[in-house]
Amino acid sequence: MAAEIVEGLLKALQLIFSGDPTVVEVTARSVLISGSATTLSVLWGLPIAAAISLRKFPGRFVVKGIFNSLLGVPTVALGLLLYLVFSKSGALGFMRLLYTPSVMIIGQAALITPIVVSFIANAIESVDPEIKDLAKTLGASEIEASVAVMKESLNGIALAIAASFNRAIAELGVALMIGGNIAGVTSVLTTVIALETNREPTPELPIAWTIILLIIVFAVNITINFIRRRKT
Amino acid sequence: MKPLVILQSVSKTYRDITALDKVNLEILEGEVLSLLGPNGSGKTTLLKIMAGIEKPTSGEMRFKDASVNEINTAQLRLKTTMVFQKTTLFSANVYQNIAYGLKIRGLSKMETRGKVKEVLTKVRLEGYEKRQAKKLSGGEQQRVALARALVLEPELLLLDEPTANIDPKNVSIIEDALAWVNKQERTTLVIATHNMFQAETLANRAALLLEGRIAKVGTPQDILSLPPKLLANYARLENIFSGISRVNEGGTSTIDVGQGQRIEAAFQKDGNISVHIRPEDIILSIQPIVSSARNTFVGRITEIFDLGSSVKLKINAGKDFTAQITKRSFNEMGLNLNSKVFIAFKASAIQTI
Amino acid sequence: MRKTLIPWATLLVAVAVVSVAATSYYLGSTTKGRLIVSTTTSLYDTGLLDTIEIDFETRYPIDLNFISVGTGIAIQHAQRGDADVILVHSPTDELKFLTDGTGVNRKIIAYNFFTLVGPETDPAQIRNTPTLEALARIVEAGRNGTVKWVSRGDNSGTHSKEKSLWTAAGFDPKNLTKESWYINVGSGMAETLKKADYFSAYTLADTGTYLKYSKEGAITLRSLIEQEMDLLNVYSAIAVNQTLHPSVNFQGAMTFVKYLTSDEGQQVIEQFGKEEFGQTLFYSAVRLLKGNTNPTIAQWIREYAYFDDTECPTQYRKGYAELYG
Repeated sequence: MAAEIVEGLLKALQLIFSGDPTVVEVTARSVLISGSATTLSVLWGLPIAAAISLRKFPGRFVVKGIFNSLLGVPTVALGLLLYLVFSKSGALGFMRLLYTPSVMIIGQAALITPIVVSFIANAIESVDPEIKDLAKTLGASEIEASVAVMKESLNGIALAIAASFNRAIAELGVALMIGGNIAGVTSVLTTVIALETNREPTPELPIAWTIILLIIVFAVNITINFIRRRKT
Repeated sequence: MKPLVILQSVSKTYRDITALDKVNLEILEGEVLSLLGPNGSGKTTLLKIMAGIEKPTSGEMRFKDASVNEINTAQLRLKTTMVFQKTTLFSANVYQNIAYGLKIRGLSKMETRGKVKEVLTKVRLEGYEKRQAKKLSGGEQQRVALARALVLEPELLLLDEPTANIDPKNVSIIEDALAWVNKQERTTLVIATHNMFQAETLANRAALLLEGRIAKVGTPQDILSLPPKLLANYARLENIFSGISRVNEGGTSTIDVGQGQRIEAAFQKDGNISVHIRPEDIILSIQPIVSSARNTFVGRITEIFDLGSSVKLKINAGKDFTAQITKRSFNEMGLNLNSKVFIAFKASAIQTI
Repeated sequence: MRKTLIPWATLLVAVAVVSVAATSYYLGSTTKGRLIVSTTTSLYDTGLLDTIEIDFETRYPIDLNFISVGTGIAIQHAQRGDADVILVHSPTDELKFLTDGTGVNRKIIAYNFFTLVGPETDPAQIRNTPTLEALARIVEAGRNGTVKWVSRGDNSGTHSKEKSLWTAAGFDPKNLTKESWYINVGSGMAETLKKADYFSAYTLADTGTYLKYSKEGAITLRSLIEQEMDLLNVYSAIAVNQTLHPSVNFQGAMTFVKYLTSDEGQQVIEQFGKEEFGQTLFYSAVRLLKGNTNPTIAQWIREYAYFDDTECPTQYRKGYAELYG
């Protein structure tokens, strides 16, 4: 086994440094799709998280509970559900989005939204409760005070972004079921690894792909950690 | 002096807890008012209401003779600022913390820079702009919090225990800044404090809050003349002695304070009594004292507290006495722990509590 | 602060939305000119489809998208309208597909043989025995505890074939599944071979995948029975009925089907693997059936994979009469 991993590592290096076009294409697509999914989730997740953590309203705990439980949804289950929705006979079939990168962006965004909402809501709630009063006594309006609270939680927001990007780029179920792993169109790192493992007689190619995926994940996380460190 | 703030029958309840019960209080323009009271008496709530960050459940608050309501609360907050008991800072550097209120008010960058620089000198933190606020020492942090409020030049400055748990050096810097802002800038101050000494020196008026109600308003000395049980809770008085007093001929009384020690007071009282002597009223000498003071004792220094320009000393002369002298005197006399000293205080220095 | 907050926030949101939209566009979300082909894993895993794709796309402006899922699921996709054409190898399922009204214009494009593979030592002694007898021996040996059988168990064409063979040999596949020597792996062909190798078990495999894997030395199983009528494996292409699903790319589908049955397409299919494995993996079927060039096999195909004496009964044809001349 060790020998195969070493061979896989060598193969990975070879693929990367030779600038193999398939590797570049698949990696770029993975990063773009998951990056877009993360952007979308933060776009609608941040306001939701702010809404449920800055103000008290009846049913608040129920809403939070729902998002917390959705954290653990199995990706294949979500993938199947989305497939049924976007299938030509499904509710959104008319949009012709099945087996396109766009639907993968939507699907991954749906998958990681609970992560974004839960993490950010948590981060906001961990902020010193006196900060809001402090901002107000210094002259801030309700909105400005809320912004001050959110600025204090930037660290937690960065963590949310990292965690959700990780989940998006490393998941298989959604990408496979609604993307279809079509070469040149919807193949991403995880789907390639899964199907190449089936196709290839020896594991060195799948291992190589896995190493590439891990490199991407490490790179993104180290960058975000670096930013977080500078912010505090 | 005109009233700046008038609180009329202000009450505040949280669920089933009544924090304030029909409080009537006037804050006069330009004054320094001490808000005294034990923990949980409602001091913080009262300050927050005056700061416009809490709403009274009932009653009315008038600021400069205009009633405060939902609409003008935002404006009120621009004119009054509160410094919290627990130092709360933004996760940013000193400059950004202090500039926050100025940014809200739309000041230009140039103006802001100037004002921040100026206020930092008032709290003796020149050059601290780029330092991370949360990494400073406790005393420095509180000075930043104070500077942050001062820079906004509020008409009313509310302080909740501004020097509690702060080391003496920082305490004096803060008290100097407060004295300055009241004298020079004519800022009205309301200070909630436990420290009677502070209440006396900084404030010209004091209000005692007990269980959400105003128990007494008057000069700090008025408050001090209240029954001892009340005071013991919240006033950190030094040199408190209890004993039995006997009237003497000549208009004085001798009080047996225990352990064979007697002190002579300039009033006439018989029976059980509690008294207190201000530390500054105790004279210290390394030679035996011959003076008109009726009370002289000898003892040894057991504790020394460095307060910057003055020094507080605990002396065991039978009972424990606390005296306060200038740093210069302390150095000139060459005093140290265990130094033998002579203490003396007048009969008139003894105050009943 | 109030003044600068709202413009900043709107700018950020605008940038985010624009970048996501641009990315989507750049990655290509258009579905124009694309043909979705749902196919079996055995065709996909051998690499035949990659070769076909390259050749086809040089000739036609159609973007071929293969989705490899296995016959059962390929048919399901087609029934939901998510595929334009299917490439499968299970005549019973294909017939239902036609009678359901979901499929039209079926054409047989290739054939090869399944093979029974097993450990070199062949404990059940089935080497070169007729298929059905071999299966009986495997059942006996299995019940004695000396051998194991691995089944794909995934409703693929290969799995259907396996089930029909068990039935023909006198066993009920549903009952066999419960027996301890019968291992159901629920995987594609390649994965199934790997697992059979791991358990030193017997299994049914298509020649293409088997050859690829044994050549690379990935498995040590041996092909024990080959080229019998019972092991015939026939591949067909069926287009999805446009009447049922108006949005399918019917024209593209038919272009593809015509290509596959054309001389060029058949050539590509037949040539595949010759160099690498020294033999053809997929035999071309069109000329064989038309001109009866190998009467025995042609007859086998007609018996096994024809419906009402034809590849595609007339009621399931839609135009393109030239295909069935």
